[in-house]
Amino acid sequence: MKRALVIVPAYNEAGSIGEVLAQIREAIPGVDRLVVNDGSVDGTGPLVTSLGERCLDIACNIGYGPALQTGLWYALRRGYDVAVFLDADGQHDPEDVPRLIAALDEWDCDMVIGSRYAGGRPYTGPFARRVGQQVFSWLTQAAMGRRIYDTTSGLKAVRASAFRLLVEGTYMDFHTEVLIELSMRGYDVRELPISMHERKHGQSMHSWKSLFEYPLKTMFLTLVAAVNVLLPRKS
Amino acid sequence: MDLQGILTIDVFGLVLFAVIVHLVRIQKLHVGYGILWLATTTAVMLIVSIPPLLHGITRAVGALFPASALSLLAFWFIFAILIFFSVKLTEISSRQTRLLQALALKELDARETAADGLAVPGADVDSGQT
Repeated sequence: MKRALVIVPAYNEAGSIGEVLAQIREAIPGVDRLVVNDGSVDGTGPLVTSLGERCLDIACNIGYGPALQTGLWYALRRGYDVAVFLDADGQHDPEDVPRLIAALDEWDCDMVIGSRYAGGRPYTGPFARRVGQQVFSWLTQAAMGRRIYDTTSGLKAVRASAFRLLVEGTYMDFHTEVLIELSMRGYDVRELPISMHERKHGQSMHSWKSLFEYPLKTMFLTLVAAVNVLLPRKS
Repeated sequence: MDLQGILTIDVFGLVLFAVIVHLVRIQKLHVGYGILWLATTTAVMLIVSIPPLLHGITRAVGALFPASALSLLAFWFIFAILIFFSVKLTEISSRQTRLLQALALKELDARETAADGLAVPGADVDSGQT
């Protein structure tokens, strides 16, 4: 039996984190859970601890990618075989987690993304986001030879073989830049169709500023990741 | 540049020299940055005080007037120093992130150790957080 750790990055998610953790406990009894409290100021950390859940409290906000990396450090140190990222906003269905873990074995791959758009399901959301999704999806097709339809999904299962690479890289959101770097380094990245719910509490980490910042940073980090693979640095 | 201009810049340079030494002495400025600014101040004083050097630089950068050449040099210097400080800021920010990650992991280790009364398995694995 594989040891799996569900990593839940949370920033100001006091309104939804309790429900999300309860859903995980119900859907996957016995699975290890780790909330990475990324400098929340709304009491997320104390709430998680009061629920008897394992909580990594980061003293101030360091961002989504570094928060995931902290969770992966924990998984690496404790010898987990699989880590699953699941957002704390209640949009992901924990019932999908066992499917993702099973898919890792079934396809013998290193990362499985829970995809809202796998198989060409239409993109949703505001126009700019749809265009962005499309562009980054084409980018994965060009760089990986396999199209990833949902590059921005926060629901992912990762095999331990990729932990070390992921904790040491420079990533913003673990999106396109991670998928392309993993693929260029020979790791196998696949998608599994899932469905998502609407956020009930709190605010998305993406603001109007992200409209410009996100694509620029992601493009640039993807370029950096590709250069890293093509021109490895001497250690 | 006439003698009055050269003297003005040299006096200003000497004052700056004294200020930099004082800032390093009272630990308001890192030694490395102190040396950088001393070197810059010295370079400006030398360029201005030795007319053949100033004219040579003016010709070398393709400027018509020495003042234009100095402005161009100043622009390049400011550009370079901004990149340098961006690198330093990034270093500090990355170190802060690593420290915060390490602290969070250590705190959780300590809590779990206290709760279990046992050594934390795998806690000695190199986390690269040092």
